[in-house]
Amino acid sequence: MEPVPTNAEVRLTVAQCFRTLSSSADCKDIVSSLQTLNSFLDGGPESKSTSAQQAEFRRSHYSRTLQFLVSNIQADWLHSLSAAQRSSLWDGLFLKGPPEQALMVLMEEVGQLRLSSSLNHLVSIIEKFLQSGRLADLLWSYCGQAAPSDSLQFRETLVGRIIALPDITANKLHPNNRPLLLPQEYYPLLAKEMLIALERTCQALRDGTDCSMTFVAQILGKVCIQGHSGLVLAVMAPRLSVCTRSDMLWQRVSWKLMDNVPQGWMESVLTGLVQAVSGPDALGRIIGNLVLTNKKTQFIMTHKLLLLQYKYKTQVLRTILGYLAADKDRRPLLVQVLRSVLQAWSNPSAVKHTPLEQQLYVSKALLLSVSLLKDSELQELRSELLQCMLSGMQSHLDSSVVRIRNMGMVVGECLSSRLDINGAKLKFEYEQNDETCELLSLLTPSTCDEPEPEPGPLNGLDCCEETSETVPPMQNVSLQNQSGSQPSKTDPDSDLDSDDELTPYDMSGDQEMSQASPPRYLRDCLETLISSEDRERLELSLRLAESLVRKNVFAAREISVQMTKVLLHMEDKYSINGFLGLRQATMVALTVTDCIPVTQYLTTEFYSLNYSLRQRLDILEVLALAAQELSRPNTDKKAPSIGTATTTVLAPYPGDNPVHWQQVVEKRIQSKTRRISKGATQPASKGSPNRFAPVAGYFFFPLLRNYDKPQVTFDLLGSDHLILGRLIHTLGLFIHLAINAPIAAQMGCALLDFVWAVRYHVDQMVRRGVLFAVCSVFLSMPSQNLLVDLGDQLFETRTWLADVAEGDSDADCRSLAVQSLVLLDKSIKKQLQDSKALSLES
Amino acid sequence: MIERMSRPAPSPIYTLRGAGGALNTLHFCCWGGCAPVLFSGSAKGAIHVWDLNSRRAEKVIEAHSGSSVIWVNTLRSSGNLISQGRDMQVCVWDLSEGRSQLVESLWTGSVGFCQCSLLETSPATYLLGFAGQQTEEINVIELPSKTPVCTLVPEAKLGMVMCIKLWQPDSGPGPLLLAGYEDGSLLLWDVTQRSKLSQVKAHPEPVMCLTFDPKCLRGITGSSEKKLSSWMLDSQNNLQVQDCVTLVNPGVSQLCIREDGKLLASGGWDHRVRIFGWKKLRPLAVLQYHTDMVLSVAFSDHEDPRQRLLAAGSKDQRISLWSIYSNGAETG
Repeated sequence: MEPVPTNAEVRLTVAQCFRTLSSSADCKDIVSSLQTLNSFLDGGPESKSTSAQQAEFRRSHYSRTLQFLVSNIQADWLHSLSAAQRSSLWDGLFLKGPPEQALMVLMEEVGQLRLSSSLNHLVSIIEKFLQSGRLADLLWSYCGQAAPSDSLQFRETLVGRIIALPDITANKLHPNNRPLLLPQEYYPLLAKEMLIALERTCQALRDGTDCSMTFVAQILGKVCIQGHSGLVLAVMAPRLSVCTRSDMLWQRVSWKLMDNVPQGWMESVLTGLVQAVSGPDALGRIIGNLVLTNKKTQFIMTHKLLLLQYKYKTQVLRTILGYLAADKDRRPLLVQVLRSVLQAWSNPSAVKHTPLEQQLYVSKALLLSVSLLKDSELQELRSELLQCMLSGMQSHLDSSVVRIRNMGMVVGECLSSRLDINGAKLKFEYEQNDETCELLSLLTPSTCDEPEPEPGPLNGLDCCEETSETVPPMQNVSLQNQSGSQPSKTDPDSDLDSDDELTPYDMSGDQEMSQASPPRYLRDCLETLISSEDRERLELSLRLAESLVRKNVFAAREISVQMTKVLLHMEDKYSINGFLGLRQATMVALTVTDCIPVTQYLTTEFYSLNYSLRQRLDILEVLALAAQELSRPNTDKKAPSIGTATTTVLAPYPGDNPVHWQQVVEKRIQSKTRRISKGATQPASKGSPNRFAPVAGYFFFPLLRNYDKPQVTFDLLGSDHLILGRLIHTLGLFIHLAINAPIAAQMGCALLDFVWAVRYHVDQMVRRGVLFAVCSVFLSMPSQNLLVDLGDQLFETRTWLADVAEGDSDADCRSLAVQSLVLLDKSIKKQLQDSKALSLES
Repeated sequence: MIERMSRPAPSPIYTLRGAGGALNTLHFCCWGGCAPVLFSGSAKGAIHVWDLNSRRAEKVIEAHSGSSVIWVNTLRSSGNLISQGRDMQVCVWDLSEGRSQLVESLWTGSVGFCQCSLLETSPATYLLGFAGQQTEEINVIELPSKTPVCTLVPEAKLGMVMCIKLWQPDSGPGPLLLAGYEDGSLLLWDVTQRSKLSQVKAHPEPVMCLTFDPKCLRGITGSSEKKLSSWMLDSQNNLQVQDCVTLVNPGVSQLCIREDGKLLASGGWDHRVRIFGWKKLRPLAVLQYHTDMVLSVAFSDHEDPRQRLLAAGSKDQRISLWSIYSNGAETG
């Protein structure tokens, strides 16, 4: 058959149909024209048109036809068709032709139509289009050899439309959007359709046909870069992992797919993938040796995900590093990674300036990669590792942040045990918590294999549901097992006569008795503390010292300074239980009882020679606690109700303990009482003067006196930044406690002056202290003072705070800076309003 | 819900003062129709009869001529009081109708602190076990006839007899006797066969006190150390040490099991009374009131379990009374 006449013939037929449809009012004519158009799409032997005609129609008339149909969507004839006719003749035209053309027309028209029944009609056709798997047909049509020959531009638009379908419909339909078109439904569907296309590709490859993955890879890349990688890869990764397990062809298809992802979108695909796969093996099967062949991938996997980003879970690290370690071609990369991670870990500047979370992440990566190295590989790296370990440990241990120190200790322990330095191991004492345990656990490689189901029948859509279905029965079995075993376990214990029915009383008062007699007088107590070598007497004296001080105020005032001196220099020679707490409590009691002399003594001693850092910290702590106690309302008469009530009730057998039933009654009353609003359940507490206010200056100013005079043993602005941080923090606390006192304004100015010099200190503890102090200054200073006294400084302070809030590496510092900014703004606003109100009045 | 709260430590419901001496021994007599009384024996040789309703000393018997009274008990059939003193005498007193008359006295010859043990064999006849004149000797006699039943002397040197307990097993003909010795050994004697049935080393230090629960054939001993040692009798009458409970402070003066077999009380040298669940020896409470060693503890024999009391006598010359785990509701 000649091509030219065919083409002309088809064009004629189509044109005639159009004419009929646009002019005729006769239902029969319209139906027959629609049937004619449909016949170009119906394949099969009984088709009225030849295959050449069909190909011609598909090539050059299909889009036109659809556009014509949509433009006549409001025509009368459409409404006069029966529902069955409409869906088979009209809707069918959209579902049978080349899917890319149909989709493009549909999306275009949806974009143009207003909210109307026609729009609804089109959207339901889109739904049908998606439900009937046309998307897979579309993708597959681009995989096969006979890919539609269209322009690059068309493809780009098509990819864009496919990815943006939920956005386009949502923009049009607003709340009337269909569930299938929501991202949560659509993207998993898209992922399934991609899998089906891949499956068909595999099938075609088996049959010896060449295929191209470019289009699907484009779709995958674009969908990931647009932020839907989680939804898509959650469906694709498990399925790919299962399919590539035994099937080499699948592996090749998968590798090719990844390789074809455009470079610019590679990162989002990879980051999504490493989070979605179940483990290193699965990742290896899905991407193959992509990390070796693709520079971008190599950068992302060996550098960006490990050293630049740190938001991922430990599992991701395990996956990446395990993937690098799994293949002998990739192992050199693991060594390279270890080197760079080690550098990052031991870099002193990084320890100081990077966020804690990142340091934790790097530590994890380091431990994981060390655990993955073989002994022979470790031998080669040994000297390098050792050197970096030692310098890194030092910079970690120098940090004033406990978590960083712990991290350094754990990593040091692990590395040294792995390096096996002549059998010697580092061993530190640190508090076990979740973080250290997790770090420690990283050194033992997780041996559990990925629990993956065997590849099921490749039924495309069903496969994902099937894999998820295989799990519940197992769970049920285990649940039954548990419930079956539980009763048998408890049976032997369910002895009715056991002691368990008797509830124990509080037995905390059961302490060891000591033989020595407790001191009765404060002077005896002091004497013992000074000179006694008897452990028991010393302990008793120390235990009773606080109560003796508080009971005998006058006696305490006579010897307060002397006793403070003794306590400050006291050492825990006998490792008495709770020594530090007892000593501190006594010193606080002394400071509270005899405020001015003791604070004078302590503040002078703080800057004098020959004290250990611990003692200086003790001084600060004692002062802070004493200030807190002084500023608290006086609570000498503590609720006497319980005490008197118990003594008045003396029934013959008032039960085992009288308080007990009172609690019960109280509870019942509480539960029966209906409260309209909370609050004011207790009588309003009586006001009492802040005892700290008059003496705040004695606490505060002497500590500011000598900070810039370095001594041989104490250099506050130099190496002793631990103390500097505490000092500033304590000063901030004083200001906060002196709130509303007249002296607070003066204190605030002095403190701001002081901290200005150290506001960009390298140590985050100091910076935290500074920000805390600034916060409490803004909280405690009256707003007019703030503006008047600090007028010019305020703007500099503001810019500094904004800078910190934005750029500080420590999260606490950032939030404190934000807090201070808020406080400052509030205070300034209030002051401006007040002054405005004043000027209005006048 | 309420049971789950850790309740504050209990306090005594009342105390009895004025004994004028350390209280070595306590004995309740609360059964029958008569008013409940508590007998106490003091180190000054006085036996006080405390009326638990009026909470006053109803009567004071100056027994044992000023020597320390170390043990008091009552003979159930006659209602007579029996007491043992450091003057090596065991005396029986008739207290009926307001009398306080010495009925009988018996010379034991023991200079130690070992308390007697009394066992009712049939109405109106009793067996009385007591430490004898020789260091390791235990004598058993029948009352009121004062017929000597046997003398038990171990072959090995075990030191002084520290505490004894006579009891009648359900199976088996004759009464058995448990005795703790100075070297920490615990012996089981068959009284009728006059033979040693079993021996076990319960403590490294002297056995200070022992108590035994014939219902479940378990007992427990205390010593001058920090441990209570619990043991049991198997079917062949062999003593087997089971487990120990560690105390906070060393030294136990007396142990006592409540009649219902639920609670064990210990009087400690650290001024405290400790309460344990008897089945698993779980610590339940620490009763702190006394300011000196607790020398004696006793559970009352009230017929109504809800009225049951615990009494503790101390060297500080006071008796404290506690109502603990006696309420049906809280033990349920």
